[in-house]
Amino acid sequence: MRKKKAQTQQKQTLSSDFVNNLDQLKNCFSYGVNNDFSIRLLQAKYNNKELALCYYASLVNSDKIEQSLISPLLEQEGASIFAIITAESVKKITLLEEVIENITSGKVVLLMQDEKVAFSIDVSNFQHRAVSQSEIESVVRGPKEAFTESIHVNISLIRKQVRNSQLITEVLKVGERSQQDIQLVYNKQIVNQELLDDIRQRINKIKVDNVPNLESLEQYIEERPYSIFPTIFYTERPDNASTYIDRGHVVLLMESSASCLILPVTFWTFFHNPEDRYARVAFGNFSRLIRYIALFFTLMISAIYVALANFHSEMIPPDLLLAITAARERVPFPLILEVIIMEVAFELIREAGIRIPSPLGPTIGIVGALILGQAAVEANIISPIIVIVSALSGLTSFAISDPSFNFTVRISRFIFIIAAGVFGMFSLMSALILWLMYVVSLKSFGVPYLAPLSPTFKSNRDVYFRRALKKERWRPAYLLPKDLQNMNKNK
Amino acid sequence: MNVNKKLSSFEMFSMTLILIGMKLSDTTPSLFAQKSQNALWYIPFLAFLIVLPSFFVIMYLLEKVQAKHLVNLFELLLGKLLGKGLAFFIFLLSFLMISLDSRNYVEQIKTLYFERSSSLIIFVLFCVVCVFGAIRGIEVIGYTSKVLIPFLTASLVLVIFLVYEHMIWERIYPIFGSGLQFVLKESLFKGSIFADFILLTMAYSSFKKPSDFKIGGLIALFIAVLEITFLFLIYATVFDYNSIEKVSFPFHEITQYVQLGDFFTNIETFFMVFWLLATFLRFILLLYLQTWLFGAIFNIDEFELLVLPLGFLSMVIGLIPDNSVVTELVYRNQLLDLLTPVLIVLPFLLLAIYTLRRKQVT
Repeated sequence: MRKKKAQTQQKQTLSSDFVNNLDQLKNCFSYGVNNDFSIRLLQAKYNNKELALCYYASLVNSDKIEQSLISPLLEQEGASIFAIITAESVKKITLLEEVIENITSGKVVLLMQDEKVAFSIDVSNFQHRAVSQSEIESVVRGPKEAFTESIHVNISLIRKQVRNSQLITEVLKVGERSQQDIQLVYNKQIVNQELLDDIRQRINKIKVDNVPNLESLEQYIEERPYSIFPTIFYTERPDNASTYIDRGHVVLLMESSASCLILPVTFWTFFHNPEDRYARVAFGNFSRLIRYIALFFTLMISAIYVALANFHSEMIPPDLLLAITAARERVPFPLILEVIIMEVAFELIREAGIRIPSPLGPTIGIVGALILGQAAVEANIISPIIVIVSALSGLTSFAISDPSFNFTVRISRFIFIIAAGVFGMFSLMSALILWLMYVVSLKSFGVPYLAPLSPTFKSNRDVYFRRALKKERWRPAYLLPKDLQNMNKNK
Repeated sequence: MNVNKKLSSFEMFSMTLILIGMKLSDTTPSLFAQKSQNALWYIPFLAFLIVLPSFFVIMYLLEKVQAKHLVNLFELLLGKLLGKGLAFFIFLLSFLMISLDSRNYVEQIKTLYFERSSSLIIFVLFCVVCVFGAIRGIEVIGYTSKVLIPFLTASLVLVIFLVYEHMIWERIYPIFGSGLQFVLKESLFKGSIFADFILLTMAYSSFKKPSDFKIGGLIALFIAVLEITFLFLIYATVFDYNSIEKVSFPFHEITQYVQLGDFFTNIETFFMVFWLLATFLRFILLLYLQTWLFGAIFNIDEFELLVLPLGFLSMVIGLIPDNSVVTELVYRNQLLDLLTPVLIVLPFLLLAIYTLRRKQVT
């Protein structure tokens, strides 16, 4: 009840009483206590009326205020305020709520004596980092720039690559107490309307005080928060965003996130790399092949080692088997425990490596990898073969470049190791088939996770390997785009 | 977003191929070899020719009557009570068949790889996987089959390639094995090894078009029969006249025979991986179709909930026989013989009823 009352109070319009309006604003922003909230009073030359400029000093560009607002107002003659102010964007607003929202988003609000409307002038100057090189998803061949923590810069990075008037950047609001903008970026002529409605609906459903950034937004709109598979693609590369927009995906952007969310996505989005497309067909596919091998190794090598050495030792060639047995002779632990110790150790080094202050990084890495490993082998805690196996499975995991999918792979690896310890290949395959069926059953915004491989959809058949760019003529049909063909009319 | 998730002909193809083609790797060949010795290889082909008309008739009826699935077809043609009764009879037969079949597979896994483990534990693990897989629904089963079928086929091709040097073609003689009359009798009564295909008609309505079911199913059936025939021929030519009846798991036996170069001499575990994946998929599919059949008979809409009890029940039934020899040579043999006449006669009976009651039905 009280909340409702408060809402109706906030919806109130500005009155024609200048002092009253100003008092209300001062009250709202705790003027005097709230240090960077500033009010500048002045008298306009063109109509001799009292004016107040209200803004957050920390969010605006003070030079711009001085040049495009204060000095024209004090010096210029003119018919209306629009003829005097030289700033590029001036908007009329009437609600008190709008005034507050405009001030918090870095605009100057101009209140005038005897006027029921206020004017909002965009002079915002949010501080952000300059555009820098992409660090997580680096490529050898292809654009190197990455998103930065400013929504305007990010949109301009996308528009630079998609020169199309149909590229829409739609704003949605989220958050009850701290309202944040979410920008939906999509191509109006391609994207499926139902998909857009679904996304809007999911965003509107979020009823929390504050969604600070994209990283938390992802968790609010995804379907299965507890799943080990990501269903939204988080990337810091503008070229990724523009490629997916062209295919009919939707990109979400937010202020203060140096990345974007792309949805809906499939398994292949996480596995493919933009460089596969920038490199020539043979080179791109070769690097994919290497990544498939890496994926297999990182998921399976430890588990297969456990299964073979414990349950199916007849499959290991005799010389190798003897070597393994000889190495394991003085190790007290069962094999599966040994593998788990090593895998956990690797994960520990990895996690610590991320959190460690950068000057210390290399030193700790050497201590961790070399000395610890060597000492553990010499102390007969683990056998040298395990070091090789777990180093292989750990190192190959770095070939899976997407950070979210990397977690998926690493968690799955432990599932498989434990499964292999129960009944060898039999239980390992049990785990694999259930895992695979789970992957197949997943959906990202209604799109099957393994599409277009299974179920099949019309697409460029860019699944395991890609074809020549000249032969790519379709948008993925699983997105139900408005325009399926037309991507490339070459024959 | 509403993406069409119904199955297409390729999924039908993959499911049928896994469902029927797996016969080449279980104990079916040794069952045939008991009676016909090295003439076992063309029995599946003859048996298939005998049951093929039935499949055509069933597909024809499904399309003409516009039935949703098998039980629906029976109801439309025979009336509610009789139709459901017949469906229940089929359910009982196939459920028994599948229970014995799964025991059979469990025994294979146990004998070949885990000799010292108890069948019970392997059976429990096997059933848990089937239940959890079947719960995901027919679409997921179809899609998963489709993802796996290239790998399964590749592994089979590799086996054939590697075993080729061990084959001695002269061993197909005597061409009639133990005698023509035994071979023919065996072919006549073992048509039911393809009976699982009838269960697939339960999924008739989950395809995009009815023709997807027909085209995918028929192509897969033909390929499966060729595959089975060819593999049986390999068994006959690798093991020869007298020893073939003593080989219980010919497929696994030949994977133990082959070697990949001089370094990898024991690669049966490599093939076991693919065989296991296919086996799991096969029983997941069978369990799901069984449950669907049961749900359709008793008008249970959320039949997925029954996957667990039915899976458990089939495990219990599968555990009843004392050992795999009894399961294989007594129960399964008799059940197959019993099922074949049903499979051959029933569709034509239905066809006759359809021609008589055409106006009432449509």
